[in-house]
Amino acid sequence: MAEETKKERRPLDPNSAKYKLNQIAAKAYSDAAEAKARGEMVGWCSSNFPVEIPETLGLYVVYPENQAAAIAARGQGEHMCNISEADGYSNDICAYARISLAYAKVKDSNGGQEMPQPDFLLCCNNICNCMIKWYEDLARQLQIPMFLIDIPFNPDYEVSDAQLAYVRAQFWDVIHRLEAFTGKKWNEEKYKEVMGYSGRSSRAWLRATAKAQYEPSPFNGFDLLNHMAVMVTARGKKEAAEAMELLEKEYEENHQKGESTFRTEEKYRIMFEGIACWPWLRVTATGLKSRGINMVTTIYADAFGFVYDDFDGMVRAYCNVPNAINLEHARDKRVKLATDNHIEGLLVHTNRSCKLWSGFMYEMSRQIGEKVDVPVVSFDGDQADPRNFSEAQYDTRVQGLMEIMEANKEARA
Amino acid sequence: MNTAELFEQFHKIALNPRAQKDAYLKDGEKVVLVTYYVPEQLIHAMGAIPFHTYGGDLPVNEAKQYFPAFICSVMQTMLELGMRGTFEGCSAIVIPSLCDSLKCIGQNWKYAVPSIPFIPLTYPQNRKPDYGAAFTRAGYERMVRELEAATGLQLDETRLKESIRIYNEHNALMREFSALCAEYPQVTATQRSDVYKSAGFMKKEEHAQLLRELIACMKQEVAQKSSGKRIYISGILADAPEWNRILEDYGLQVVGDDILACSRLYRDDCRMPEDGEDAMDALVRLYCDKDHCSLLYDEKKSRVEFIVQEAKQRKADGVILALTKFCDPEEFDNPMIKDACAEAGLPCVVIEMDRQMQNYEQARTIMETFADMIG
Ligand code: SF4
Ligand code: SF4
Repeated sequence: MAEETKKERRPLDPNSAKYKLNQIAAKAYSDAAEAKARGEMVGWCSSNFPVEIPETLGLYVVYPENQAAAIAARGQGEHMCNISEADGYSNDICAYARISLAYAKVKDSNGGQEMPQPDFLLCCNNICNCMIKWYEDLARQLQIPMFLIDIPFNPDYEVSDAQLAYVRAQFWDVIHRLEAFTGKKWNEEKYKEVMGYSGRSSRAWLRATAKAQYEPSPFNGFDLLNHMAVMVTARGKKEAAEAMELLEKEYEENHQKGESTFRTEEKYRIMFEGIACWPWLRVTATGLKSRGINMVTTIYADAFGFVYDDFDGMVRAYCNVPNAINLEHARDKRVKLATDNHIEGLLVHTNRSCKLWSGFMYEMSRQIGEKVDVPVVSFDGDQADPRNFSEAQYDTRVQGLMEIMEANKEARA
Repeated sequence: MNTAELFEQFHKIALNPRAQKDAYLKDGEKVVLVTYYVPEQLIHAMGAIPFHTYGGDLPVNEAKQYFPAFICSVMQTMLELGMRGTFEGCSAIVIPSLCDSLKCIGQNWKYAVPSIPFIPLTYPQNRKPDYGAAFTRAGYERMVRELEAATGLQLDETRLKESIRIYNEHNALMREFSALCAEYPQVTATQRSDVYKSAGFMKKEEHAQLLRELIACMKQEVAQKSSGKRIYISGILADAPEWNRILEDYGLQVVGDDILACSRLYRDDCRMPEDGEDAMDALVRLYCDKDHCSLLYDEKKSRVEFIVQEAKQRKADGVILALTKFCDPEEFDNPMIKDACAEAGLPCVVIEMDRQMQNYEQARTIMETFADMIG
C-alpha cells in the first residue's frame, strides 16, 4: 500500500509508462503543496479510503502511507520512528503510523518525502483498525477534524445487505460533512467521470498485471510495488487511466519481443505476500533476482481492480479490499492469482508492523500452498522499520525456497 | 459467611474457571464463551451461560502455528486454551471484531478449534448515527441466529427484559464494590481482582448474590488507615497473581480502574425498555452510547480526560497504565493519557504486561520506585 521512490539509475524515456506513472505520483505531492500555498485546504487520506470522494469534490489529498513508504525507502524510517518512540509510542506500533505521527510533529522528514500539513483527515479502516487509532491521534495532536468511513472486517464471504447499507450511509454522510466543511460540492457528472477513469485505470491494471501469465513474464513483479502508488492515489484521473493503458501495452510488446523488465533469465516464478520491506527493497529484490526468481504476482494485482458500475458497486468494492475479507475469500483470490500466473512457490513477508495482514497468514498460506501445491516459505520483516529485518534470515529462507522449487522441477521433469 | 470467607469464595472461582465451567456443563447448562463487548443479556435470555475468556497466564505452544509472536498474549493464550481442549463442552465462542487482533483470532479459530463454533459479532465504529444502530442490531440478530443453531435454545423475548434488569443490577453492585474498595484500604489487590474475575465465570444472579453479601459485610467493618498510596489503574487486563502481589507488597491501594475486563464492562447500564418497546433496541443503544474505550472510535479522545477525571474523583495519588504488550488500541492512547496526567499533576507510569510473563522483576522494580514517588 505504498510506493517505491528510489533513485533511477538510467534516465527514463519520458514516453514510457514508468516515467509517466512516476510523474503522476510526484505531481500528487506538488499539486497538494501548491494548493496549500494558495491557501486551499489539504487532507491526509488513508490508502483505501474511497478516492472517488475527494476526487469528485475536487479536494487535494496526500497519503501518509505512501509518504511513510517513501521515507522508509529513502532510509529515514528509523530516524522518524525514533522521534515518535521518544514521545512514548511503543515500537510495536505499525511503523507507518510511527513515521506519520513523527512527521505531524516535526514536519520534516530529513530528506525522505515532504508533504503539506493537513486541514482535515480522511480515514477508512478497511485495511486495519490501527488506522483509526493513528488518525485519532493525528486529529487530537493537530486539532483538525477526522472523517471516518468505517468498513468492518467481513467475517462472511459475501458483503451482506446490512453491511452495504451501513457503509453506503457513511459514504453519503461523509460526503455531506465534507461539503459543509470544505465548501466544495458533490457533482454527479463529475462523479461519473471519476468513476469512468477509475474503471479504465483498474481494468488496465488488471490486464497489465495479468500479462504475468506469459512465460517468461514480461515484467518484474517489483514493478507493481512501484506503480501501485498511482492506483492508490490517482486512479480516478485521466492521466492515470492513460498511463495504465500504456503500461499494459508495453508489457504486451515486451512479450511479443521476448523482452522483460526482469532483466535476467526467469528460472522460477513466485507469488509474494505482504507489503514490501521498503528499507530493504534492494536487498530483497536482489535476493530473488540473483537466483533467477521472478516475483510474478502479488495480491496487489487483484486489490486495485476497482471495477464497478454504480454507487453500490463502488461501496461493495471498498468492502472487498484484501484486509477486510475473511480467510476463505482472501485465500481464494490468491489461489486464483497463483494458478493463473503459474507460480512455483510462495514467499510470505511476516510483517511486524501489520497485525491484520500477518495475524492469520500462517493458516492462509498453508491452505494456499496445499491448494496450489507449491512450497511456502516466510521471513520476518517490517515494511518501514529497518530494525525488524535480518538479511541473513531472508537469504537463507529464499535459498530454501529455491531449493524446493528446484527439486520439484526435477521431480516433474 | 464473613468478609474473609466471601473473598475466599471469589478467589476459588477466579482461580478455577475450568472447574466452574465443567460444573455448569454437568448440570446440563449450555455455556457460551464471550469476550470484550458481547451483549451477554441476549445469551442470558436464551437460557445459556455467557462465560468470559481473556486467555490465561500460561505459555504459548500450540497457538504458535497460527499467530506470529507480535500478536497480544490475550489472543495467543485464548487460542492456546482452545487448542488444548480447556473449553471443551462449550457451545460456541462469540468474538467481536473490535481490534485487528480480534479480527484475526476468529479466522484462526475456525481451523484451530473446530469443535467450538466461532460466531462473529461485527460492530460498527460509527455507532452514534441511526445507521450505526441499525448495523449493530443486524449484528445482534445474526449472533442470535447462530447461537440458536449452536445451542438449540431460542431467544425468549419476554425474558430479555428480565435479563437486562439482572445485568443492570449486577453492574450497580460492581460499581458499588469498586467505590467501597476506594474507602477500605484493607481490601487487597488480589481480593479486588478476584471479584472482577469471578464475575465472568458465574451466572450473573449468583455472582450478584455473593457480592451483595460481601458488600453488606464490608460495610460493617471499620476502614483501616490508608497507606497514602492510592492508585488508579487502566488497561485491558491486570489480573496476574504475581502482579497483584507486587501491588500489595508496596502498599498500593487500587481505588479505581479503567481496566477493560474490570470496570469498563460494568460502567454502563442498559436503559430499561418501556412496555411495548423492543428490548433488543435498548441493548443496541447500550453499545452505541458507549464511550471512553480504546477499542471504540473516539474522534476527540475524550477517554484521556475521562481517565484523569476519574482518577481525581477517586483521589488517586498516581495512575498506572498496565499495557498489554502488542495491544495496538492501548498503545496509541497511552502517550496522550500520560501527558494529560502530567498536566493534571498526577504521577503516571506505563508498565508492560504479558500473559506469559514469567519474570516480574522489572515490574517489581518499576513499582517500587513508583510507590516511593507517590508515597
Ligand atoms: S497496520 Fe498494516 S494495514 Fe494498517 S497501516 Fe500499518 S501496514 Fe497498513
Ligand atoms: S484490545 Fe489489545 S489486548 Fe485486546 S485483543 Fe486487541 S490487541 Fe489484544
